[in-house]
Amino acid sequence: MKVLYSWLKDFVKLDDVAPSVLADKLVKAGFEVEETIDLSSSYVNIAVCQITSIEQHPNANKLLVCQVDVGGQGTRQIVTGAHNIQVGDIVPVCLDGAILPDGKEIHTGELRGVESQGMFCGGSELGLDDSDYNGAGFDGIFILNNAFSADRLLLGMDINDLIDTRDVILDVGVTANRPDTNSVYGIAREVAAVLDRPLKPFANLEWKEEGNVEDMVKVSVLAQDLCPRYMIKGLTDITVKASPEWIRRRLRKVGLRPINNVVDATNYVLLEVGQPMHAFDYREVEGQEIVVRRAKSGEHIVTLDGKDSVLDEDNLVICNAQKPMALAGIMGGLASGVKPDTDCILLESARFARDNIRRSSKKLGIRSDSSARFEKGIDYISQEWAIERCVSMLLAQGVGKVKGGVIDVKSELPQDRHLDVSVDKINRILGIVVPPSEMVSILNRLSLKTTLDGDVLKVIVPPYREDIVGANDLAEEIIRLYGYDNIVSTPLDGMHQTHGGLYPRQKWINEIKTLLSGTVGGHEILSYSFVTPKSNDWLGLAKDDPRRHMIEILNPLGEEVSVMRTSLAHSMIKTIAYNLAHSNKDALLYEVGKIYLPDSEQPSREVETLALGAFGEGKDFYSLKAVLDQVASKLNVKLRYHAGSEPYLHPGRNADVLLDGAKIGYIGEVHPQVAARYKIDGRVYIAEIDLEKLIAQAKDHLPYVALPKYPSISRDLAFVIRAKVTGDQILETIKGACDDKLEDLYIFDVYEGKGILSGFKSVAVTVVFRDPNRTLVDQEVVERVDKILVAMKETWGAVLR
Amino acid sequence: MIDSIEQLVKRALEAIDQAKETTDLNEIRVRFLGKNGAYTEILRGMKDVKPEDKPRLGKLINEGRVRLETVLAEKEAAFRAAEMARVLEKEAIDVTLDKSQPIGSLHPITKVKNEILDIFVGLGFKVEEGPEIETDYFNFQLMNIPKDHPARDMQDTFYVSENTLLRTHTSPMQAHVMLSQKPPIRIVVPGKVYRADDDASHSPIFNQIEGLVVDKDVSLAHLKGTLDTVAKALFNQDTKTRFRPSYFPFTEPSVEVDVTCSVCGGSGCRLCKGTGWIEILGAGVVNPKVLENCGVDPNEYSGFAFGLGVDRIAMIKYGVPDIRSFYENDVRFLKQYK
Repeated sequence: MKVLYSWLKDFVKLDDVAPSVLADKLVKAGFEVEETIDLSSSYVNIAVCQITSIEQHPNANKLLVCQVDVGGQGTRQIVTGAHNIQVGDIVPVCLDGAILPDGKEIHTGELRGVESQGMFCGGSELGLDDSDYNGAGFDGIFILNNAFSADRLLLGMDINDLIDTRDVILDVGVTANRPDTNSVYGIAREVAAVLDRPLKPFANLEWKEEGNVEDMVKVSVLAQDLCPRYMIKGLTDITVKASPEWIRRRLRKVGLRPINNVVDATNYVLLEVGQPMHAFDYREVEGQEIVVRRAKSGEHIVTLDGKDSVLDEDNLVICNAQKPMALAGIMGGLASGVKPDTDCILLESARFARDNIRRSSKKLGIRSDSSARFEKGIDYISQEWAIERCVSMLLAQGVGKVKGGVIDVKSELPQDRHLDVSVDKINRILGIVVPPSEMVSILNRLSLKTTLDGDVLKVIVPPYREDIVGANDLAEEIIRLYGYDNIVSTPLDGMHQTHGGLYPRQKWINEIKTLLSGTVGGHEILSYSFVTPKSNDWLGLAKDDPRRHMIEILNPLGEEVSVMRTSLAHSMIKTIAYNLAHSNKDALLYEVGKIYLPDSEQPSREVETLALGAFGEGKDFYSLKAVLDQVASKLNVKLRYHAGSEPYLHPGRNADVLLDGAKIGYIGEVHPQVAARYKIDGRVYIAEIDLEKLIAQAKDHLPYVALPKYPSISRDLAFVIRAKVTGDQILETIKGACDDKLEDLYIFDVYEGKGILSGFKSVAVTVVFRDPNRTLVDQEVVERVDKILVAMKETWGAVLR
Repeated sequence: MIDSIEQLVKRALEAIDQAKETTDLNEIRVRFLGKNGAYTEILRGMKDVKPEDKPRLGKLINEGRVRLETVLAEKEAAFRAAEMARVLEKEAIDVTLDKSQPIGSLHPITKVKNEILDIFVGLGFKVEEGPEIETDYFNFQLMNIPKDHPARDMQDTFYVSENTLLRTHTSPMQAHVMLSQKPPIRIVVPGKVYRADDDASHSPIFNQIEGLVVDKDVSLAHLKGTLDTVAKALFNQDTKTRFRPSYFPFTEPSVEVDVTCSVCGGSGCRLCKGTGWIEILGAGVVNPKVLENCGVDPNEYSGFAFGLGVDRIAMIKYGVPDIRSFYENDVRFLKQYK
């Protein structure tokens, strides 16, 4: 909330506390000061001058050459294109080196061969309009002698001294627990506590009243749960006109537009007291009746912003005998507001239920300064203060007569609460020892009336401090004024010992990352958990593919980030496309991330998943498969592969990854058609593995195997076999033909082409035999190789090459 | 005879001196010391020497032989060394050339996360993880943020249904853990969190580490002690922490925690906007209402909690100006973090 330093001075003596010092003290007390803006710094070297002569520019028809008197600063020659000036006018002038609020700098220069030692300004260039000063909105030079009385205009004076910009805005961040500080008065109350200075009361007038407001209007509150307090004060003989300059300037400086004296007064009170008000034109109060009730379904209202809203029972409305006049606490109706010829007004000052205003305003999409205050919560006493303040402000302008009495429909008001908390309890929360007398003093400064009874602080909490309910709240109040710098670092070691650490699952994930990010050469990526629903089409998923069943975000930032991913494939391919587009020619990428599957029992089933992606030189199906096998090997598990059918993979380079016979993922080359959709030109390989299932089988180590004492014998066998037979099938056949003397078996070469019949291939296999207890004799190996040859012949018709 | 011995030794030494390579030395060895070598001849002549001269001559002959063999060996060694030097010189390579061997990279967020978790594990904290799609009940209500509470404005929430959402903080894990484990509790919770925000310093997805300690008489001073230790470990030994009062519904008192700027050490620079301090996390004493909500007796136990932004710390630690760099995954960026 923006607070003027000068406004705070109405309530606390601040002459010896510079704005920056004040800001620092507020921060230390828990009020973030987001910005401190010195308004005068926006106007540099702009002065008040009088035009002493005006001549036609010798070289330009549209330009005038003026001589001006800048008081003590001498005379200047100014060339101008504006024509709303005459000799004797007093105007603002930018002197050499001047800076305007929009940042524009003015220097002495030549205009069509004639020197101009500065520039006259219009009101808009000074950030002013007609609501600030008469004539400031005119499209031309701001004629000061029309806007200000002659005694205020001194030639040569700094413009800041004329337009009252010797002021500082403190942009104070008010936390959600302190709605009572959402006003100038509320901040002033804190400032007074922090500086330990008295808080001045509102400077209200005393006035005489005539008649009785109850003769003007009858009020009934039908929804007291949503409106715990409703007050009406009547004023007659109103003259609607512009507010005095000081009010208009204060409102303008904090960003509010002055409207007229009545509306300005209610806005001023909103800012100063924190209580939203509304002024009804008495003529619109048909039936001389105000009813506060829930809207009827289908009822509608046109609000001040011109919006026509259809209402329902969630919306609270302020009605006359016939229809709604205002959306309670949110915005007045267009019809019921103050108009230029308004004579009598009813000033509303009410408390509406926080949650209802919040819901209602959200539902209707209408927000205002008023609804913002109510949503955060307002004080219980401020309804009375606001009426007094508002009436006083209007009377001070000589506007209006006050009807006697006030209508006040209220449920029981909350009372002061009594809180007893031991000094020891506070110190145990803080972990330091604050002297009890200091605690008492601090709490009293904060208007929390406190006495010490033995070890017990007896605290009286006023209703506006709803946030204070227990010892922790008091501890916070005490320490924020006592100073957080007094908290002494204390180690935890006096506590119960705990054993920390990672779960095995977390350790395995770290192991996998360490492996992949090491000499395997993988680069870890981190991508968004939400993706575009279009990715399902880009990947070519079948209509009934379960991965199309995605958790949708109701309020996404955009369609491209609107559903929770059910696979890492899209993120990986997209990342590869991004890298290719940025001329990163080759890489191995990986991601460990979750996929989010709809689940009937819980908000979602989140599955930790590993994705691999490879592209560029030296990358192919087998190199990626080798990476996957390295991961498996690290975890001491064995993966198997068989031809798969992922729709977004190359149909001939596409494998399911199996663990203990169950599919836990896939690997393959991205289908060229899919790659094209991602604007990828070239071959790209990806794999995706369910890490939960993989890690479930991970073993820290395998059973100990003694190193062999006897030598092994190995044989290389090259078979000519039909090309369709897979490596796995060949190895299975060989294994089946061997006994436990077979120690190792692997394919070391596959060849198709010259010398081999078309449709066939040559597969070279190494078989290794060993007996752990003795040296095998040659004959034993020959017998075993024979068995292999027979099996290969019988099963596949394979022959030795 | 003495003369001829000396002559012979002299001749042999001259020959050795002139030898150019190992084969020359072999030839010299054969010529002088071989079976039919000149020196061997002299030895044979010993049989004609008078017995009284034998010891003296024998000694002389032997000395000459030892001398020749020594010099030969020395020369041979010199030739071998020279030969080795020649070979080695020939084998010299340009050590500035490269043979590429891949080395991968760990995402900077992972690096920082691991570093922070390591520190806490060392302090006896257990690492817990939990769901990212949460119920309103766990994300807000148990954390003392009822429905329609103004504090909900502090976090722009992505909803997936009326009562289900993408968690806005890792704090719901405080509730999960307190509801399932008995104090003493010392946990840290890393994880992704989500807020509807997207600019240079805000990503709609970012990473937090939540911390929670619940035990008897845990105080604000313990929070300060713990965070001091962590800040020193994470940045450097001179790092100091500072508490500023703040507000979170789930802690009371609540603080924002600043550390002395890691770039300027506190004297003020661009990173810290001249203040010398950088905000790294929010923390506080666990609100007794949260303890109560989660089945922990606030009269018996107290605790502190904190939530730190891993992305933010990574930005500070590595000097990355735009948070979105972490999620673009440009290999050139990733490669900078091993």
